[in-house]
Amino acid sequence: MKLGYVLRKRTGQLALVLAVGFVVIGFFGSALAPYGPLDASAAPLAPPSTSHWFGTDSLGRDILSRILAGAGISLLGGVLVSLVAFFVGTIPGILSVYLGRVFEWASLRLMDTVIALPFLIVAVAVTALLGNGLIPALVVVGVLVSPIFYRVARSVALSSVTADYVLAARLYGASTYWVVSRHILPKLIPALAVTFANTVAAGLIVISSLSFLGIGVQPPAPTWGGVLAETLGYISRSPLAPVFPSVFIIAAVWAFHALADLLRDAETEPVRRQTTAALASSPLSIAGKG
Amino acid sequence: MSVTEPLVAVENLSLAAEAPILTDVSITLERGRVLGIVGESGSGKTLLVKAILGVLPGGVRKTSGTIELFGEDAGTFEAKKWRSLWTSRLGAVFQDPGSYLNPSYTVLQHFNEFYRVALKLPRGERRNRALLALQAVNIRDAEQVLTRYRHELSGGTLQRILIALALARSPDVLIADEATTALDVTVEAEVLDLISDLRDDGDMSIIVVSHDLAVVSRLADDVIVLRNGVVVEAGPTQRLLSAPKSDYLRLLIDSHTKYGIDRVAGHPQAASAG
Repeated sequence: MKLGYVLRKRTGQLALVLAVGFVVIGFFGSALAPYGPLDASAAPLAPPSTSHWFGTDSLGRDILSRILAGAGISLLGGVLVSLVAFFVGTIPGILSVYLGRVFEWASLRLMDTVIALPFLIVAVAVTALLGNGLIPALVVVGVLVSPIFYRVARSVALSSVTADYVLAARLYGASTYWVVSRHILPKLIPALAVTFANTVAAGLIVISSLSFLGIGVQPPAPTWGGVLAETLGYISRSPLAPVFPSVFIIAAVWAFHALADLLRDAETEPVRRQTTAALASSPLSIAGKG
Repeated sequence: MSVTEPLVAVENLSLAAEAPILTDVSITLERGRVLGIVGESGSGKTLLVKAILGVLPGGVRKTSGTIELFGEDAGTFEAKKWRSLWTSRLGAVFQDPGSYLNPSYTVLQHFNEFYRVALKLPRGERRNRALLALQAVNIRDAEQVLTRYRHELSGGTLQRILIALALARSPDVLIADEATTALDVTVEAEVLDLISDLRDDGDMSIIVVSHDLAVVSRLADDVIVLRNGVVVEAGPTQRLLSAPKSDYLRLLIDSHTKYGIDRVAGHPQAASAG
């Protein structure tokens, strides 16, 4: 059981608690915030205190409230980027194995091209062309991240399509749809889950970076990247303020990456356990000798 | 198709990838007969049967010749026709039986998949049919086996399961491609007995593919010997074994005579054989 494996590890417990915590503040951040994220509730650039745990920004807005209220857009941005990348990458990745050489060649070259594009610069260029908005920025970043899903889906589909048990299913008279849905997709899901968790973390960084640059979410709406950018401008007068949004970004990215790594480890654990047992019982083993 | 018409007739078949794989190979399989295809690794045996099954791997193409199945030219078959043959008239088992079972499926799930996809059996009937199919290939505690995954079963049991799945179609032609190669000697003997029983039981035709002349000669009525994609010799098994014409077949027979069990010192037959 993969969740059991994650929960047995201390890193897994911490990552899961953080990830669940972030999801909760993503949904209920605004309700949990002690002040309105747009309200000037105290003196500008106030240091952390009991009434304003993280202090206030240059307009006197409570930083904790802005971080909590901005969690939804920041995390949802990461998830949306991953969802766009998932659909744009996975479907052609599977189809590239089935739809013949022309589609395979064209999709591979297209993905090679997309990989070569620096996505922050392209996202900036596209929002300059289409107008500044969160959704175009998310879609562009999602498309630019999609080759990761394409390659994972294609490699798993390629290894499965040549598997003997897939030939056996074809000889039962199974259709391509049946083979893909019953024999290939179940193999894809663990690999895609790991990729998805990694991409959420990457998407979160990109969305934070974009809002740091003033792209995507428009001020005064709060996002973690935006709060970081605002507080960084006053670092000489309020040096602690940028630390708080940075810690949230780093903790969220770490939690999703750690979960992705543990999910991957859980997938390969039986093989590693068998290999370790085989090596330990091997006459060639150096363990226990000496 | 007339009564005497062969079930499988391959005429001057040539296959090629980057280099030729098979050249002008012809075989005929009549109802109730067992045809052996023998040859060393890389001689083209497996690709010959995959061509008959219509599942040639990508990159391998037919360059000449014809394959007739049940009196019809297989070159004209659409996907639907192949599907109907695979689900009702052609059964196949291969080397390394474990790899032909999905590691995340139980044995029952494989039977369920087959009965649902191939035979469109209602859900309620599938389990009983699977039990009967396993019992028919002499699997003891079939109830237990149905709940197991492939890594929990021995090679012999896995091969019997594949044979049971192949026979569940009630095929006219069963293809056994190196079906005993990955098995140890005692299990190999059991599976050979099973195929032998199938041959004796009814009017099913069998193609037995092996690099082992002993296996083929035990089961087959007729044999073709392949080497480097070319038929070296073909004919009734007894005639080929008693009077080989080609040097290659003579070499194969000599190897068996030289290294067979009857040449082991102390074996009861060693003195007479020597």
